[in-house]
Amino acid sequence: MAKPSVRLRVVEIAFALGVAAVVARAGQVQLLQGATYRARAEAQRTEHVVLPARRGTIYDRNGVPLALTREAYHVGIAPRELGSRARAARAIGAALGLSARAVGRALAKTYAFFQGPFTATQIAPIRDVRGVHLTHELTRFYPSADFARSLIGRPAADGRPASGLERVLDTLLQGRPGSAVVLRDGHGRMYESPGRLNAFPVAGDAVYLTIDAELQDIVERALADAIERYDAAGGDVVVLHPHTGEVLAVASRRADGSTPPTAFTSVFEPGSTAKIFAAAALLEAGLVGDADSVYAERGVWVTPYRTFHDDDPREWLHLRDVIQISSNIGIVKFAQRLSPGQQYDMLRAFGLGAPTGIEFPAESRGTLEPPDHWSAVSAASLAMGYEVAVTPLQLAAAYAAIANDGVLLQPTLVHEVRSADGKVLYRQQPVPVRRVVRPEVAERLRAMLRGVVYEGGTGSTAALSSYELAGKTGTARRATGHGYAPGEYTATFASLFPAEDPQMVMVVKLDDPRGAYARITAAPVTRSVIEQTLAARTTALDPRRLGTESAPAAGPAVGTGSVPYVMAWPPAPDATPPAARTVPDVRGLDLRAAAHALHERGFEARIKGWGP
Amino acid sequence: MALWLVFFLAILAWVVARQTSAVVAASTLGDLEEQRGTLEARQAELMTRIRQARSRKVLIPRAAALGLRLPVDSEIIILQVPGQEKR
Repeated sequence: MAKPSVRLRVVEIAFALGVAAVVARAGQVQLLQGATYRARAEAQRTEHVVLPARRGTIYDRNGVPLALTREAYHVGIAPRELGSRARAARAIGAALGLSARAVGRALAKTYAFFQGPFTATQIAPIRDVRGVHLTHELTRFYPSADFARSLIGRPAADGRPASGLERVLDTLLQGRPGSAVVLRDGHGRMYESPGRLNAFPVAGDAVYLTIDAELQDIVERALADAIERYDAAGGDVVVLHPHTGEVLAVASRRADGSTPPTAFTSVFEPGSTAKIFAAAALLEAGLVGDADSVYAERGVWVTPYRTFHDDDPREWLHLRDVIQISSNIGIVKFAQRLSPGQQYDMLRAFGLGAPTGIEFPAESRGTLEPPDHWSAVSAASLAMGYEVAVTPLQLAAAYAAIANDGVLLQPTLVHEVRSADGKVLYRQQPVPVRRVVRPEVAERLRAMLRGVVYEGGTGSTAALSSYELAGKTGTARRATGHGYAPGEYTATFASLFPAEDPQMVMVVKLDDPRGAYARITAAPVTRSVIEQTLAARTTALDPRRLGTESAPAAGPAVGTGSVPYVMAWPPAPDATPPAARTVPDVRGLDLRAAAHALHERGFEARIKGWGP
Repeated sequence: MALWLVFFLAILAWVVARQTSAVVAASTLGDLEEQRGTLEARQAELMTRIRQARSRKVLIPRAAALGLRLPVDSEIIILQVPGQEKR
């Protein structure tokens, strides 16, 4: 056994070595590895978070919100933190709409989580309850779940906008997220740190659509009723403002209740509604005079290629009579005066076979083959509205050109865009695509369309007692993947209301309705929509510009201009010949933007070659 | 030296007062945001109920049950405001 002094010395040395080791380790941690540990501690204590921006609201043209963003909450409950468990359970159950049993089962766990999301109103009673932890998020909310659903679109499962205008306008609506640094405590719980806010989130822009919610409701309801009443496979209704190109209402519906956006994406052969385009080409080229007539073969005309039939057998018909009774034989005989180029150019000028450029994803361009692809019967088929396929929107835009004194406008769905602070960033102005026909030709076409609704015309079932309507029926065989389906038709009625100084252009299309003919299906639907619109508190119609004289009971001479009242807006004479189409300068644009610019002006873009 | 100490304490008091004021403002802001969220949610719920109640899907069957019907166009009289001219 060593001496005490020796043992003491050993203890002293050991202690000194221990202290030296601690100091050395402290020096190593603080001096050599200090930066690493500081960074690690910072990472544990703080977290960079993205502050989501509030998505912009979508309104109708009158400021009715159609899609908006609101705060929603997920609820987490730590039962051990609750004060009076029984009282808290009652409050939680009442707030979240849960049964006492469900709440009891949840509170038996260490931590209960209710996904919700719950609204601020729902969680208000339990917001300050100890042990209740709320997780906040912004969710998209649609006040009317089914209202214009396919038009507005919906988010996908991941929250990103997947369809409709939500997708197209995403860059405007999404806003700019902010960022912040938040502090965490030892348990990993986050505390907001206002002093460490890096960037405020900027809310998205508010978009005012051209849609009139009241009119949209009328149209959706009328379409649903018509599909049920006529046992149709589906249908579409498009309402345009002819002088601005604004889409006032658009509805699509299938018999199963689904609402795919077929007014923009699905094409059909317009049938007799396209006869007015052949008439436009004839009048524009000066190939038909008022006194000109053709022999209508008493309803059956046999040619080497095809036999033509008319439902209303006649002998001699003027062009206006051809339109009024929708004579196939008459329009084919008149159209023989047109060259294929003239016929094709007029259809193209009305926007057929080209996308309208509306702000909607996957818009169909329709089908219109150039003359070098035509067969021997193509000219006759096109005059009758076959061998050409259009969307309901394209047809409405083409009729709107007739209502707009011959100028085709680009249809649009966006009326205005405002920043979150209310500053107007964009306001819709009519975008003329081209002059299709001269104003005097457009006026004569409107007069012909008025005749259709007079007694004896195919659209007389759409006639109103106090207001004049102009329109054209079309009953076309339905094409399927294997040719025309026997006994299936598409019934269409394209109309201008009122006939003088139109404020609305409407296309009603029903797929395979019972009763087939447009005059007994689509035309009455048009009348019903107009009657409801007149009775509704909608701004879609300006009552100060509505004439109130009755349409004549018997069909007068159409096109003579014998209007029973005088409107305060005489069409200004404009003898300007159709302007040459100017090709937009797309040099320097990327491919997509160049193609879009060309399509907007009605040109077809074909891509050849490749390059940077 | 005493002057410096007073100056230091004054600055310290100003900083503390500023921080306290910021915390109170942040708390008030939080409360107001909560209230706004609650009111917005309430507004959205009421809006939904109004829209549903005003929709034709609801109104027309109820009106029909009361023996009412939609007017035809000849039964609609649009009154012109005196002195207001057609555009």
